[in-house]
Amino acid sequence: MRRALTLLIAGLLASVVAVAGTAVAADAPPEIALTIDKDQFQPSEVKVKANTPFVLVVTNKGAKAAEFESKDLRVEKVVPAGKTVNVRIRALKPGSYAFFDDFNKAATGRIVAE
Amino acid sequence: MGGTFVITLREGFEAALILGIVYTYLQKIGAQRHYRYATRGGVLGVLASIALGVVVTALSGPLLDLGPDIIGLAVIFVAVVVLTWHGYWMRQHARAMKGDVQRKIDEAQTNHRMWIIGVIAFTGVFREGAETVLFLWGLLTQATSTSGWASALGAVLGLIMAASLGWAIFRGGRHVSLQRFFGVTSIFLLLLAAGMFSTGIGRLEVMGFLPATPTAWDTSFLLDDHGFIGGFLNGLIGYRSRPSVLEAGSYVLYLAVAGFLLFRSDSSSPRSDAPKGRIPAHAV
Repeated sequence: MRRALTLLIAGLLASVVAVAGTAVAADAPPEIALTIDKDQFQPSEVKVKANTPFVLVVTNKGAKAAEFESKDLRVEKVVPAGKTVNVRIRALKPGSYAFFDDFNKAATGRIVAE
Repeated sequence: MGGTFVITLREGFEAALILGIVYTYLQKIGAQRHYRYATRGGVLGVLASIALGVVVTALSGPLLDLGPDIIGLAVIFVAVVVLTWHGYWMRQHARAMKGDVQRKIDEAQTNHRMWIIGVIAFTGVFREGAETVLFLWGLLTQATSTSGWASALGAVLGLIMAASLGWAIFRGGRHVSLQRFFGVTSIFLLLLAAGMFSTGIGRLEVMGFLPATPTAWDTSFLLDDHGFIGGFLNGLIGYRSRPSVLEAGSYVLYLAVAGFLLFRSDSSSPRSDAPKGRIPAHAV
């Protein structure tokens, strides 16, 4: 049982790493910058092309950690203070997608795909 | 203050719940001397959370983009495996334990590998740990103004509240009979693991490793899974106010498969060698 469990865990880990590796090697989609500063997102409205994957480059210029989160996109990503995190977003249908900082609800914004 | 209170309570709740259950479990099978497995797992979980919190602030580039996600995924799926196995084990023994108290305790201790308890405690704490560490650290560095202090205080109170709930489970669980405790928690761990499995699948979906599926339902206007009650239900049974079809489907699939494995032999029930009324309630 113990051996089976170890094998199972090792297998899971290996597949996760393998899949992650493929993702890194994939073609680079367009990047769109987003900044968190003074409890606000800059810009608070991000315009993107619909049906095209893109990368949100989220930079936290504040002094405390933020968590970029969107229920519409089902994304949750911690952005430590002073750091930049790339958030890969899949192709979106035309529409408006709200996001916010889960660590500071005052900061909100939205992505508009058209 | 209220906002930070809810955040840390939400993050800490699941860990408190799991720790409450494993300590009660050890107490129930008379393995108090094995508390150290749970304690070590929990302490290691806290240390790993702090370490990851520190490491994340030092990382950059792809390591920062993907590193925490991969670790998060690994923790989720390991947690699903150990919780399932433990739930399965408890279920087996909830049915089999109908003999005298001492015999079933001895049997429990020899048949169950205690290190699994440590792994459960570790994943329970580590899962939301690094995020909580970063959140708290940010608040504490900002705690120079009155509102800053209030936020930090709210966050600390949230963690204390979560810990109290874990303690309450431990206190309350002591008065429940062994068989009922095993029976109830095995179902409960099943739901908890189903929620985690669904979360893990959802992460894979968002990261683009699984095909995107539309939203299955949206009850966030009714009960937001980031709110107070919704957050509880999220930690407890994996409630989601806005799951994708894949997330909802994987939750159901996990429940169906694991539920079948756990309960399939219940109907073809084994004969018991002693009527269960013979176990005096105060002895367990």
